Amino acid sequence: MSNVAIDWKLVQILVQKDWYFMRKSLAVYLALGAFGLFLISAGSEGTFYAGSVLLVTILISLGIHLVMATVIQERTNQTLAFVMSLPISPREYTMAKVLANLTIFLIPWLILVMGSLAILGFGLEGAGLALIPFAVVILTEIFVAYCFVFAVGLVSESEGWTIAAMVLTNLLFQGVLYGVSHLPDMASTMKGSAIVWNATSISLLGVEIAMIATLIAVTFHLQSRKTDFI
Amino acid sequence: MTELAARLEGVGKSYPHFALNDVNLDLPTGSVTGFIGANGAGKSTTIRILMGLVHHDRGTVTVLGQPMPAGQAAAKSNLGFVSEDMRLYKAATLAWHMEFVQSVFPSWDQTYAESLMTRFDLKAAHPIKGLSHGQRVKAALLLALARRPKLLILDEPTTGLDPVARHEVLAALMEALADESRTILFSSQNTLDVEQISDQIAFIDGGRIVASGDKERFLDQWRRFRLDVPQGTTLPVLPGTMASAAQPHGARLQVVVTSRFEPSMAAGYKAAGITVQAIEPLTLEEIFVTTVMSKKAGATR
Repeated sequence: MSNVAIDWKLVQILVQKDWYFMRKSLAVYLALGAFGLFLISAGSEGTFYAGSVLLVTILISLGIHLVMATVIQERTNQTLAFVMSLPISPREYTMAKVLANLTIFLIPWLILVMGSLAILGFGLEGAGLALIPFAVVILTEIFVAYCFVFAVGLVSESEGWTIAAMVLTNLLFQGVLYGVSHLPDMASTMKGSAIVWNATSISLLGVEIAMIATLIAVTFHLQSRKTDFI
Repeated sequence: MTELAARLEGVGKSYPHFALNDVNLDLPTGSVTGFIGANGAGKSTTIRILMGLVHHDRGTVTVLGQPMPAGQAAAKSNLGFVSEDMRLYKAATLAWHMEFVQSVFPSWDQTYAESLMTRFDLKAAHPIKGLSHGQRVKAALLLALARRPKLLILDEPTTGLDPVARHEVLAALMEALADESRTILFSSQNTLDVEQISDQIAFIDGGRIVASGDKERFLDQWRRFRLDVPQGTTLPVLPGTMASAAQPHGARLQVVVTSRFEPSMAAGYKAAGITVQAIEPLTLEEIFVTTVMSKKAGATR
């Protein structure tokens, strides 16, 4: 890729384009997410479980939908040639895709994560507070998984590889869920009635944040080595 | 010296099953170059290299004064591109696309866009998903032309169009030619389309440019001789001649094609005792096919 300065106005136009095409889906995901939060806060163990599953499912689905719609379908629907006919460099295209995807995912993710934490902190009696570190680690893992699927989608531009990445991350999610909840340091704090951020939960979160940064950096690096864009 | 809108010098690109080799192509400013080749000949790869979308392995590419692919963003700010396999966003309307392209190109000409919309019988409010293939091509052409590009690259835009849509597209292109500073590269398998609008021709086959030059010169210099060769008479080998079709050795009626026609050639045959029954011009398609076949057979004498 060239070292010519990035045209941020053009990048912004491309980011807005992806937001425009995702706006209706995003509204549906947010509405379903609000329903999930309502279930979590409803008070019974059954609705708490149903709401948690719905929330996780919505976040995972949003990530998959986003990558398929903004990256893979741009190739399969042959609109990539239209975009690349604009006065844009591959580096600007990558920047636009990263910014569009991260913001489109991050905003509903933050809303739903904050909503979950608010309910755990204030909506449930006692036990909710103790679940906050675990919830943050698990919900951030969904963000890591999304970044991985996005990176595979953008770099490979392959529907097959992207689906393989989705399958892998969904399997890993089950493993992470089981593994984190069974870590002695995590399991012991989850049974209490106060928030306990210990070395284990902080380390897990730190690793997840490092993984997100690494995945984004690797995406830029691999994109810069590409020689064919259509 | 002729000013060039684009130049490819010794360009090559290797894939596992295909290679583009030593492509040299000049697009003089204001010219309309017809780029003719069969499927898989290398037209689209060459065009993608010109656009900076595929990086060449060898040679140099300059487009509108910019080295490619490094200068592609600057080059594309004065470039329009329509390709047969390019699609618009199905969920959006033509109006959205026009606004989108207008936000990117300061050179966008809204009045011209609206006149093209009328000519192409397109409605701004129509979602792209409801358009026929011909309408989608016309919409893509509108979006490329209304940005008033200095260089227009068209990769098989008329492929798959019905005769009426093809006529409309070609008419719009003819009108675009009125701007003498605009350069057009028009790739097609349909030599009739190319013949209508081009003034320069380049033939590509097997990843190589097999012939290129001025269209009129091509048409003037290629001729087919229908000859009556009496038994026992040897057909003289004249410059640039090649057999145009399979014909039995020693047959009395022979067909010979030349790429370097001179009126004196007929006299040469007559002097050898051969009757020239007819001297016919060749269509661009016949010239292309003969060029490719003779290169393949190594038949140029």
